[in-house]
Amino acid sequence: MSPTEPAVPIDTARVRPGATALSLTVPFAALVGLTTTIIWAATTAGYYWPRWVWLGALAAAAPFAIRYHLCGIPPERRLLVAHVEVTLGLSAYLVLVWTFAGAHGVFWPVWPLGALAVLLAVHALIVYRHRLPPHSRERELTERVETLTRTRRDALDVQTLELRRIERDLHDGAQARLVALSMQLGRAEARLDDPETAALVRSAREQAGAAIAELRDLARGIAPPVLADRGLDAAVRSLAERCAMQVAVAADEDLGRLPASVESAAYFVIAEALTNVAKHAPGATARVALARRAERLVLDVSDDGPGGADPDGAGLDGLRARVEALDGAFAVISPTGGPTVVHAELPCGS
Amino acid sequence: MRIVICEDHALLREGITALLREAGHEVIAHTDHGDGLLALVTEHHPDLAVVDIRLPPTFRDEGIRAAITARALQPGLGVLILSQYVEPVYMSELLDSGGGGVGYLLKERVGDIREFLDAVERVAAGGTALDREVVSELLQARQSQQRTGGSELDALSAREREVLALMAEGRSNAAIGRALVVSQGAVEKHISNIFAKLTLPATDDDHRRVLAVVAYLRATG
Repeated sequence: MSPTEPAVPIDTARVRPGATALSLTVPFAALVGLTTTIIWAATTAGYYWPRWVWLGALAAAAPFAIRYHLCGIPPERRLLVAHVEVTLGLSAYLVLVWTFAGAHGVFWPVWPLGALAVLLAVHALIVYRHRLPPHSRERELTERVETLTRTRRDALDVQTLELRRIERDLHDGAQARLVALSMQLGRAEARLDDPETAALVRSAREQAGAAIAELRDLARGIAPPVLADRGLDAAVRSLAERCAMQVAVAADEDLGRLPASVESAAYFVIAEALTNVAKHAPGATARVALARRAERLVLDVSDDGPGGADPDGAGLDGLRARVEALDGAFAVISPTGGPTVVHAELPCGS
Repeated sequence: MRIVICEDHALLREGITALLREAGHEVIAHTDHGDGLLALVTEHHPDLAVVDIRLPPTFRDEGIRAAITARALQPGLGVLILSQYVEPVYMSELLDSGGGGVGYLLKERVGDIREFLDAVERVAAGGTALDREVVSELLQARQSQQRTGGSELDALSAREREVLALMAEGRSNAAIGRALVVSQGAVEKHISNIFAKLTLPATDDDHRRVLAVVAYLRATG
């Protein structure tokens, strides 16, 4: 803090409501007490009876003091604090009355004091019940939910990585062998003089080619290679280039690599959303936005089509399930007349 | 022609080497990872590098990255990427990575030896060889994008579309003529029609022609 700033901010230094009443009540109470004390001293000076006047004056000033104090308490705590202060005030009053009356015999204030304490305890319990230690059953359930959330996410990550491994194995194993086979058939074909045999070999090579193409389609359906190789941004751009309509992609530069299950879910949501646009709004243009906000991946697929999509349709339901499996949020906004926006948020914290 | 090969799959590496040697080319060295390719290029200054995309250690896109770096290292180096799949994104990066020949083919195209050797020669000579699968994907995407707004591509005849696709693959007029069994004169006529209908700048340079056609196909709208 710089030396020129006041130590107390100006706002709170302003006169609080109730301050004027308090500043009048306290001197008045003191004046009444002192006056009676002077009268007592000037007259009998025996039994100090002005103590009862003091008690009355204090009782009259106390509400003003409490009101003044409460003005500085945040509203959500004000009621309980008021209760505490009133209880303390009444208790002090009762004990003083008992004391001034000679402090002998049964300590009768114990009954009202007990009642006041019970009331205060009930009030405090109601206000702070959420701070109570949870029941062991509740705690168990909370831990269980945490464990399930974590293991579900891990399972989805493992599954996605496993699919990517299968995709790689298809490429590096079966497909690579078929390519080598096709290459050898090609070399054999080039050496054959008999055109009939050469045609047979060529047909065999074409069969191998067809098998390779089928394997490639299969592998792409399992896990798009560019998603595994480059991540979401590149995969979505590739998708946009292949798409049957105009798609603009806007992605945060620092999107980076995300957990495999998040990349995969986001990719399939975008692919499905774009397929829907092509199917239901031919001629529309689409826009994909990818952003990372705090620990969430936020994606939007919007189009300028006629809108009116059924958010509970089977296709959109599948996307919702995919997003919710990762504890994400999913929404489709599609008023009649458009535009349609498919919005998903996926937690991607490490 | 002096060629280096960057491929981690031994079976395929040996197959490609044998095939190129039988065609009279000199395979001077091979490697199985991206850094190895850069070392070979620096050491041997080859005419052409045949490169796989997924390479150790991470088996992602090392091949594309290494090929682009190699082209910067030795301007004019022909790079022929052979891959199990074609990605328009990778094709764009290769085409944008500077001068010199560029090829991007599916691995199984190697089985058609004449076509493969043709692509090798073309790329080493500074030309282009793009896989017909990626070309047809671009063509289809471009055509459906235009369908609503009065398509320029729809104005092409079926034969002109075939010629356009072959042109995008990087083939010469003579090769297009052979593939479609028409005379070279007919091919030239088709090409000038295509360029007029798509309002592309006419050029005699095969490589620049490919770039113009591919740029047209990649553009959206």
